[in-house]
Amino acid sequence: MKILVAGLFLVLFAACGTGTKTEEKTFAEALDETSLNSTILTGEVNEILNRIPSPLEISVLLKESGKKYDAAFLNSPENVSKYNTNYKRALNLGIYGTDLGYTNIYEQTQDGVRYMSTIRNLANDLNIGQFFEMETIGRLVSNNNNLDSLLLITTQNFNAINHYLQSQDRSHLSVLFLTGGWLEALHITCQVAKLTPENHQLQETIGTQKIILDNLIHLLSMFKETDHNMGTLFTDLQDLKQAFDKVSITTIYKPSSFEIVDGVMVVKDNSVSTVEITQADIESIRTITQSIRTKVIS
Amino acid sequence: MKQLLVFVICVLICGSGANAQCNSETLSSQCIPKLASGFNFLKSYKVERGGKEYVEYSYVFTKGTQYMINICGSEQNPDGIIVTLYDSKRNMVATNKVKDQYINAIAYPCNATGIYYIQYTFDESSGCGGSALGFKR
Repeated sequence: MKILVAGLFLVLFAACGTGTKTEEKTFAEALDETSLNSTILTGEVNEILNRIPSPLEISVLLKESGKKYDAAFLNSPENVSKYNTNYKRALNLGIYGTDLGYTNIYEQTQDGVRYMSTIRNLANDLNIGQFFEMETIGRLVSNNNNLDSLLLITTQNFNAINHYLQSQDRSHLSVLFLTGGWLEALHITCQVAKLTPENHQLQETIGTQKIILDNLIHLLSMFKETDHNMGTLFTDLQDLKQAFDKVSITTIYKPSSFEIVDGVMVVKDNSVSTVEITQADIESIRTITQSIRTKVIS
Repeated sequence: MKQLLVFVICVLICGSGANAQCNSETLSSQCIPKLASGFNFLKSYKVERGGKEYVEYSYVFTKGTQYMINICGSEQNPDGIIVTLYDSKRNMVATNKVKDQYINAIAYPCNATGIYYIQYTFDESSGCGGSALGFKR
């Protein structure tokens, strides 16, 4: 009984900590050095993962550029039978996720259904199929008037997958999923930029992917020693980084101003960033991206 | 001894109940449909103070894209929750607190691509809320 009471008091005092920092300290003290490092690592991985932008932003930009929908840019759903390892499944789940966003933005219903079905199969193989509300999505896909709802629910589904993988200590799959999604968005952008060399907005968008690539390389570096496939992908992205190293991004900060319009604070950003990128840089980035993507989708 | 045990268990149950009162998950979900028309949903954020001074997330914003960050407090919006946006060098870009007024949403047309930090702090707040991030071109 004394032991039970002592145990309860210990739990009570631990629960009465004044805040997260105290709780973290208590928790950390109970762990050995290796586990503590891995706790910090997991926090850092998740923080970086959550800052990677949605490929949907690029799909909207591509449609805005006036370039028509082209299914030839995308990974064929028929390739799904090739992906029989979790490494390939997670990477291609990201690739198909970007493709689905692209078909949705262009309101290509038939292709959207095929990609959705492919994504569900891959997600089931990764034991994360429960996050896709297929009945709802199918209804939205077949009704073009519900584009906003479709984009919302698919974004929520993909966010839920990422949160779930991170909470289940399967962050490495989340890293692959986001890397695949980013790689596909870069690939499509490079293809469209090749066809529209006068579009400076697209060139600048390609150049700014340097920032995201740096984050993805940092993430992969944390897994490259423990996972051979992720080590290979890390090396491949290092090659791409060499091409991006020629791109220069300069930002000049100036304090912003604001006005309140209809209860919303509307900011005027007075900072400016400029991207210096040549056609040769874009060609180099396009070639290396295509080479990496071919390895991933094969 | 039994009384002591009952007391300790009661304190434990009451304590866990107090923590469970903040449903930041629900509040962040409730924030999504409150994004202004034309904005596509990107992320929902749980804003739960706990013992922390601030809650922070980061996201890569792209030049030429307009972002909206809104806040949903547990009682009234935004319930003393201050959202401040910093650029990659920690320069302040925007905050929803103007003098003593708290604005529910910030619209930020980004002019410089980079990592941005979305930081939530608390002024006489329950310290519990949600937030959503959206974009439009």
